[in-house]
Amino acid sequence: MSALSGLVLSIADNKQMLGLRYAEWATRAPSLEADIAAAAMGLDDLGHSRVLFGCLEPLGDDPRTPDRESDPASLSALPYFDEPWTSWAQFVAANAILDTAFTVMIEACVNGNVEVLQHRLRKMLSEERYHFLHGRSWLRSGIDKGPIDEAWRQAIEWFGPPDGDTASLHKDGSLSMGPSELLARLEERLETKAPSVKPDWKGWDAKRRRSRPGAIDDRTFGMLRGLEEKRYAKT
Amino acid sequence: MTEKYKRVSGDAVEYEVFARKTRGEPLHQVGSVVAPDDDLAAAYARATYDEERWIEMTIVRKDHVIALWAPGES
Repeated sequence: MSALSGLVLSIADNKQMLGLRYAEWATRAPSLEADIAAAAMGLDDLGHSRVLFGCLEPLGDDPRTPDRESDPASLSALPYFDEPWTSWAQFVAANAILDTAFTVMIEACVNGNVEVLQHRLRKMLSEERYHFLHGRSWLRSGIDKGPIDEAWRQAIEWFGPPDGDTASLHKDGSLSMGPSELLARLEERLETKAPSVKPDWKGWDAKRRRSRPGAIDDRTFGMLRGLEEKRYAKT
Repeated sequence: MTEKYKRVSGDAVEYEVFARKTRGEPLHQVGSVVAPDDDLAAAYARATYDEERWIEMTIVRKDHVIALWAPGES
């Protein structure tokens, strides 16, 4: 698996889970408008994940292995998405910080030197503008600090260690930003400093881009694979 | 007399949403959203009224619209 394909797969897996978690709030958000925004952003991110999965073959090195059909721990989404969110604050922190972290990484791909990413990912940036406005506005309205700190920590880990794959991809021009530039860009967009986070890179799983073990539950995994609906199908 | 129903509560205000599909047509009012600030109103307008292929969409705070006369007052 090349470093770039692994990164693109991770963006795709995270956007798929983000879209799914957004959609779970389509009837639980604080207002009708926020319900509709949750549904619309969910659709956007599920669509983005499809585009990203579609980039893997043109990149020439599809990193998807057969165990993705049977093992939830083979997916490379962040721990933040392992469990359904139980509070609106978790939604807002993901919307403002993690969604924007993924967008910043997509910016780095679009401004890098890999043609298929330059062309196919550009439109996502305009769609993500509204996710950003939504997240930043709710963030400014004041929410619990716990989910905010957790989202920052996971975003910083997801950008990767200073001497890891992301840094190498920046050096070879595939990405226009490395880990420190990505963090600075995220802080600039959110107009705030990240909390002080010192990741334990020794325990970091470079393939899944996370430190914490674990995975989504079997029901969510079945839903992602399209198997959950088979319970209702006539045999 | 019963009070008129109001969509707006707390700090939120109502925004009118306007859009058009071609350069040749004027902006039409397509609906409204309620939000506490301009950014959130923009996100809500885009999410709520994105079902058409608009070439332009804009929002205006309803309390910034200056009414000249209302139905029956002209």
